[in-house]
Amino acid sequence: MTVGETFTWLRRTGPIGRIAPHLSSRSVAAMVFALAVLFPIVHRNDADIDSAANALTYAALALGLNIVVGLAGLLDLGYAAFFAIGAYAYGVAASWQVTPEWTSFWDSFQWLGLVTRFHETGGDVVHFQVSFWLMMPVAAAMTAFFGVLFGFPTLRLKGDYLAIVTLGFGEIVPIVVRNTPSVTNGAMGLNGVMAPQLFGWSFGVDATPYYYVGLLLVAFLILTSQRLKFSRIGRAWMAIREDEIAAAAMGVNRVKLKLLAFATGAAFAGATGTLFVAKLQTATPDMFGFPVSVMILVMVVFGGIGSVWGVVLGALILQILQSWFLEDLSQWLHALGRLVHVEWLQRVELASSIELIFGLILVTMMLYRREGLIPATRRVAALTIEEQSAQVAAGRFETLTGLGALDEALDNPEAGPLLAVDGLTVRFGGLVALRSVALAVPPHSVLAVIGPNGSGKSTLFNAVTGLVPLNEGNIRFGGAEIAGKPPHVVLDRGIARTFQNIRLFPNLTVLENVLIGMHARLRTGAVEALLRLPRTQREEHEAREHALEILAVFGNRLLPRVDHVVSSLSYANRRRVEIARALASQPTLLLLDEPTAGMNPAETLELADQIRSLNRLGLTIVLIEHKLDVVVNLADKVIVLDHGEKIAEGTPAEIRRDEEVIRAYLGRSAAIA
Amino acid sequence: MALQRARMTIDPVLLQQVINGLSLGAMYALLALGFTLVYGILELINFAHFNVFMVSSFIGMWALQLLGLSGQSQVLTGMALVGTLAFAFAVTMLAAGVLGVAIERIALRPLRNVRGTAAMITTIGVSYILFNIILLTVGASSLNYPNPLPTVRWNVGGAVLQLREVLIWAITLVLMLALHLFVNRTRLGKAMRATAQDAEAARMMGVDVDRVVITAFFLGSALAGAAALIFGLYYNFTSFIIGYTAGLRAFTAAVLGGIGSVTGAMVGGVLIGLIESLGGHFFATRWADVIIFSILILVLVFVPSGLFGRAAATRA
Repeated sequence: MTVGETFTWLRRTGPIGRIAPHLSSRSVAAMVFALAVLFPIVHRNDADIDSAANALTYAALALGLNIVVGLAGLLDLGYAAFFAIGAYAYGVAASWQVTPEWTSFWDSFQWLGLVTRFHETGGDVVHFQVSFWLMMPVAAAMTAFFGVLFGFPTLRLKGDYLAIVTLGFGEIVPIVVRNTPSVTNGAMGLNGVMAPQLFGWSFGVDATPYYYVGLLLVAFLILTSQRLKFSRIGRAWMAIREDEIAAAAMGVNRVKLKLLAFATGAAFAGATGTLFVAKLQTATPDMFGFPVSVMILVMVVFGGIGSVWGVVLGALILQILQSWFLEDLSQWLHALGRLVHVEWLQRVELASSIELIFGLILVTMMLYRREGLIPATRRVAALTIEEQSAQVAAGRFETLTGLGALDEALDNPEAGPLLAVDGLTVRFGGLVALRSVALAVPPHSVLAVIGPNGSGKSTLFNAVTGLVPLNEGNIRFGGAEIAGKPPHVVLDRGIARTFQNIRLFPNLTVLENVLIGMHARLRTGAVEALLRLPRTQREEHEAREHALEILAVFGNRLLPRVDHVVSSLSYANRRRVEIARALASQPTLLLLDEPTAGMNPAETLELADQIRSLNRLGLTIVLIEHKLDVVVNLADKVIVLDHGEKIAEGTPAEIRRDEEVIRAYLGRSAAIA
Repeated sequence: MALQRARMTIDPVLLQQVINGLSLGAMYALLALGFTLVYGILELINFAHFNVFMVSSFIGMWALQLLGLSGQSQVLTGMALVGTLAFAFAVTMLAAGVLGVAIERIALRPLRNVRGTAAMITTIGVSYILFNIILLTVGASSLNYPNPLPTVRWNVGGAVLQLREVLIWAITLVLMLALHLFVNRTRLGKAMRATAQDAEAARMMGVDVDRVVITAFFLGSALAGAAALIFGLYYNFTSFIIGYTAGLRAFTAAVLGGIGSVTGAMVGGVLIGLIESLGGHFFATRWADVIIFSILILVLVFVPSGLFGRAAATRA
């Protein structure tokens, strides 16, 4: 297939057709839902319906934790704390636990039906009776707020440290609940929490209505999770999970998106907490301890970290195991024990060993099946030999016109350089990585940065893109100062980069990697992703079209592999994906860090050609390169760094004759000779 | 004069709390060393350590029972006491060390090169398994710990100093000195320090990293064994639940001192012990855990390198 044919084929059948891969399984989902609706009608066993309702509660919690751990990759070991906050919020607002004295202040609340006036000897008091249906979203919002409050100072911590901090938070919340009996009734637990009412009918203690509320909640959370996962937001979360630095360099605002993940996950737990306490009509601090956090984690790990349907399945299986299967199995073992006259077999209680089973599941899954029951990423069949050995086709650039285009104000000879670095100094402790480096990149030019290893080339890129703090100097891009700006802002201004040691998002597909590159150029937020309005769908559709156009730059190297996870690609193809990802952000300046490293001579030539074509389209390029023939071929100007200082600057021809450059590269004797 | 009076009027209750705090601190420090040794080398937070400690306390109990001791009735003195303690500590530390190595070998080594939090999640699983094995076999009630220590009391400024406290301090000091000498004076210790700095470079220089990791697990778990025996002798009981609270406090100690730093774990342990006993003195005891966990969170967020550590908690 030629590039054009592949392109058309992909457009017809491929990833564009499937904007949301889960939609194809919509009928399956509808069938599962229908069966779940029928279950209490067909199977009229109260105990079983009760277990099923509890299982749904845990499925909802697992979905929430999956947002935090599975999508955003933030290990939360205190997740039950959010569950507790939601539960106690409703518990206090719908019980007689707190009874302040009645004053006229409460009149308006009584009018709204949130409180009643209760006559008691010694004065009237307030009884809270806030509606369950109101409290569910309110509790969700409240816990989301706690998620942000707690997340804000802690989210910059590394994964395992974040886990410990969340664990500490998870410990503190139940202790606070236990130690403030005036509000929570302490260790004794809340009493007399009101059952939800619907059109005047109280849910009471029968499990069936709670089962249906739980089912609706889980269905809603599945929909929310799926829509978020396959949107700009979900991709940004997964990018953070895969490689936080690269995500920031591709325009993802880490703080904002991590907080969003924390808040979303917390909101899920808060809403679930209201249902949980409404069903039990009581709550004690012990219901929300570390074992609960671990149990939810086990469900997520078992079902498949990051897999929406997986974690639901994991939660349901483990709950059903706990409440049905272990009981039955124990009975069978007792019978077997009586049969063969073995005393201890008759006393085995497997239900009490559920935590042992949880431990075994965690270890076994981690050792043998880390992707869980239903893996989050589908593996795509490898290309056939014919496809792999297909003739290399030339890239297509015609669809990328406008790449690197500049505002008129900048795009004229008087406007000065596009990028102007002046007096840039970067120190790491005592080491000076860059000392007073100055350079200027005119619009639409190619500047090459060369120098021995350790001369500060990559540090220069890191300083420009905001990944390392600079000690002194100015960096002006398009006339505006960008020094000290965070990486995602630098990208948004129009500077995209690649990394010397390739920093892709290894477990995401080629297409997803490129789409993450577009993060700063797309607008869809969490709410829009959830609603999926026509505007959002159109944006997503266009983004995918554009991603394919960018991938077509590399001919048929990447197009047949759009649905492959990048960790399965060859080294050269990974370099190409990284360039495509950078191009996806519609940069005006592209920083390439050793783009041809690890490529054979033919591949190097091919890539050099493609880089030149990109430059001809108007893109301004700075590249770090060791292969001097590539530099001579591409660069309008070369600067040479050595020990953090610029030692030479000029056209490639001038640089080749420069004695200091020869000395830096080949040593003193070569320069004298 | 003023100084003298101040010393004379020191509150005996406060002094008593300091004595208690130092004993707790000695135990936490020993336990914290296990977290720090493993973290220093693998950058792994080892939750299994919590319950290696708990299991060890039972091993220590069985070792003492093996010598015919039960409860606090039989008191030994002189060489009999020294011999009994030496035997109990040797057996417990050896068994704990072997348990730690087994955990590393079976559950953690296959995940050595897996990115992310897989290994940490595995240690949570291992911790749960140990916890429940003891719960299901020994049961949920706490058991009376055999204690051969005679009751010898000294009056220090109105507070009571007991023989068990002096013994605990002495044993802890000896173990820490031994660890210090091992890490700084032996070939394997040097290999450990090199691996902690840069595992890849150490491997290229011919360091057997597997051996270093096993040593770290063995030493850390053996010290947890010592801490567990001290726990039993100090509190006169053990139970399946002791691992979690003590482990979290010890982990806080390691973080406070600077995780990865041996000195930090020792100092952090003593500080947490003092905070626990004095916090209980100045505030209600029921808030002690909130204070300790708040310290954990605040240190991690604001001073991630702790008192003596390298900055490691935030991303590069």
